[in-house]
Amino acid sequence: MERAGEIVITTGGPRGARRGARKWGEIVPKGVVTSVALSGIWLMAFIIFFLIKEGAPILKETSLTEIALGQLWYPVSNPPSYGMLPLIAGSAAVTLLSSIMAIPFGVVLALFISDVCPERAREFCKVSLEILGFLPSVVLGFIGMAVIAPHMQMKLELLSGLNMLNASFLLGILILPTIATLSEDSLYAVPQAMRDASYALGGTRCETMFKVVLKCASRGIAQAAILGVMRSVGETMVVLMAAGGAAIIPLAMSDPVRPLTSTIAAEMGETPVGSPHYHALFFMGCLLLFITIALNILVLRIESGGGEK
Amino acid sequence: MSIYLLRRAADRASTAALYGCMALSAAVLGLILAFLAYRGVGAISWEFISDHPRAGMTEGGIVTPIAGTVQLILVSMAFAFPVGVTTAVYFNEYSRGGALTKALRLAVRSLASVPSVVLGLFGLAFFCVFLRFGASLLSAGLTLGCLALPTLITASETALQNVPREFRDASYALGGTRWQTIYKVVLPSAFPGIITGGILCVGRVAGETAPIMFTGAVFFAPGFARSIFDSVMALPYHIYVLATAGTRIDKTEPLQYGTILVLLALVLGISMVGIVARARLRKRL
Amino acid sequence: MEEAKMVTKSLFMSYSRNAPPALKDVTMDIRANSVTAFIGPSGCGKSTFLRCLNRMNDFVRDARITGRVLLDGMDIYSPEVDVTNLRRRVGMVFQRPNPFPFSIRENVAYGPKLLGARDESVIDEIVENSLRSAGLWEEARDRLNDMATSLSGGQQQRLCIARAIAVEPEVLLMDEPTSALDPIATARVEELVRELKRDYTVAIVTHNMQQAARVSDTTAFFLMGELVEYGPTDVIFTTPTDQRTEDYITGRFG
Repeated sequence: MERAGEIVITTGGPRGARRGARKWGEIVPKGVVTSVALSGIWLMAFIIFFLIKEGAPILKETSLTEIALGQLWYPVSNPPSYGMLPLIAGSAAVTLLSSIMAIPFGVVLALFISDVCPERAREFCKVSLEILGFLPSVVLGFIGMAVIAPHMQMKLELLSGLNMLNASFLLGILILPTIATLSEDSLYAVPQAMRDASYALGGTRCETMFKVVLKCASRGIAQAAILGVMRSVGETMVVLMAAGGAAIIPLAMSDPVRPLTSTIAAEMGETPVGSPHYHALFFMGCLLLFITIALNILVLRIESGGGEK
Repeated sequence: MSIYLLRRAADRASTAALYGCMALSAAVLGLILAFLAYRGVGAISWEFISDHPRAGMTEGGIVTPIAGTVQLILVSMAFAFPVGVTTAVYFNEYSRGGALTKALRLAVRSLASVPSVVLGLFGLAFFCVFLRFGASLLSAGLTLGCLALPTLITASETALQNVPREFRDASYALGGTRWQTIYKVVLPSAFPGIITGGILCVGRVAGETAPIMFTGAVFFAPGFARSIFDSVMALPYHIYVLATAGTRIDKTEPLQYGTILVLLALVLGISMVGIVARARLRKRL
Repeated sequence: MEEAKMVTKSLFMSYSRNAPPALKDVTMDIRANSVTAFIGPSGCGKSTFLRCLNRMNDFVRDARITGRVLLDGMDIYSPEVDVTNLRRRVGMVFQRPNPFPFSIRENVAYGPKLLGARDESVIDEIVENSLRSAGLWEEARDRLNDMATSLSGGQQQRLCIARAIAVEPEVLLMDEPTSALDPIATARVEELVRELKRDYTVAIVTHNMQQAARVSDTTAFFLMGELVEYGPTDVIFTTPTDQRTEDYITGRFG
């Protein structure tokens, strides 16, 4: 009854007051939501700022050329040597090898799920890929150490089974779900009309898949591949546990390597905050950060249509 | 005519190869899980689950790291969940696609691609050193929260987008303000989807090692963390420690496999709950 | 009149086990070097029928087809038939232009390359001849390496026709090929259809009766999965024997 009474009042104070309250009821939540949402920007800015702040001081100790081209990583020797080339080469090598293994395989899996798999088995395949993606990397690293390494050592008669091949294989497994799932999304989005056109010309299913559908989805697949590479560059536990950890430039797949991520993880724990070694490890973090940001920009450019003929 | 036979043979062969690839992947996954379950199940006992590590971590149980992992999940979600959902609300309800929104989108995407070990470095420099939280549950949890944030934002946004327009229209038609509509209509109907995304996120966070290695997870703690400024043990880091730092690997082997099985059960259990919930949600849509 | 290129004998088709049949007992001839038009209200089965002629309905899970479809006397549903070769011989043009997102040349060359064409000069020749036959050569000769998607809708549809005839089919099936085009582009495609019957047997589905009258020699009228009437186009449009055909043609329903 009171409410009905209020509606009748069309002029004067009460209504004005209510309108004011209502306005506050809008402005306050909007302000709160917006400022909380902005924490994403703050966070990313802080990450870049703190990484640079803690990483840049290493340049007072040594030169950029020494870091980039030096082949000796002896941060705690006297005098210390901060050559990161072997570590960078290690990162590049495992990333390359794992991508070579995982990208084609992942795309093939995506093709299977989008174009070949019987409808009933689709969910099963997608969920098993997802579960594969949920395996914690420390568990995969453990498998590399405890299962693959001894076998590889015996079968291939190597000095150690903890090497580039072992780590790359596991990294491949780790990035496979990312690549396959994202590729599948873009393959599935290729219009049926493209497939029909190929079939109507007498194309077989595989010809249709490999010559038409794959090309139609090439952008999405390129993005998926880059995101896979990105995960591979930044992955830590697998390379920490299975790559062998030797700071040398790898020349064979059986060489042990020490990628950037594993160096940070292995050494940060024992490094005093503020020491040159600490700054050097942060410098590596900067490198990794900039590589992933660059790859991210590449993905964005592919997305917005750059690079098409 | 032979070209047709050839092409048909090629088609059959590649189809078979595709089936083979999928079967191989499923088999690798099955093999990994079966092997770990087989090796780990012997170590599982009530004592293993409920006891603290003893004798230089060569005996006893893993209740300390289990509790630590749960605590880390709670702290990370306490930070990431509200921020993530609020950001999604901003994207979906308030943003008008201006420069600010674009910058925020770019930031969120970049955040999603920051390597976990780099997040660990950031956590160390910012939470531990700059904010003086030290190597603690709080620092490690917040670092994990940063890792979870982008995923949570995306999941919540999808859930918000799936709220039918009519719901909003109905609320506006009844004179509801924007905030009333969001708070009373949109969020409740998106809630199941948001929670599902949150669960899947927890599954990921629980298995992460690199971000917590130098922000709060420790080699050994005598007991549970009693405050957020205590350091903690965590299951994934415990696995790493047992596998690499043990001087008596043979003696700790059952412990290693047991710990792995517990972590896997935790991570995959949580993830399966999320996957099943998501499947149900999709069916309802 | 020429002999029948394709023949269907009491063709039944349904999309799933319990669904009502989409085609009921369709028996008809499609004569060689002529244009046969299928008309009827939407959902009458004319497109379904067309897709039975090159087995595009194979992709429909649970689809059931009984009866016979003969191409030069050979049953195209018999197990020893190679579907790829069948579809090569019986080409298809779709409702919406669906060029591949490749260059114009690559679109036309796709089919011949599947058939093993490797020699670039041979491919160039096929591309030129096909584009000429489709009346697109003059417009496209200087931009063969441009993306096919940069063409206008009408040009895209003629490109799809060129792509279909590049594999030297015997029959060309067209599923409402002008429904997504403007009147001028439509006129060009219709003109093309009339020219194509010199070399090919054409079957065209259309919802536009004037179009059927303009381009076809024979017209078949479908209603609810049944072939109601079938005969020379001028007869169907002037003196139909079936009341339902007359009702449809005079615009009383549909």
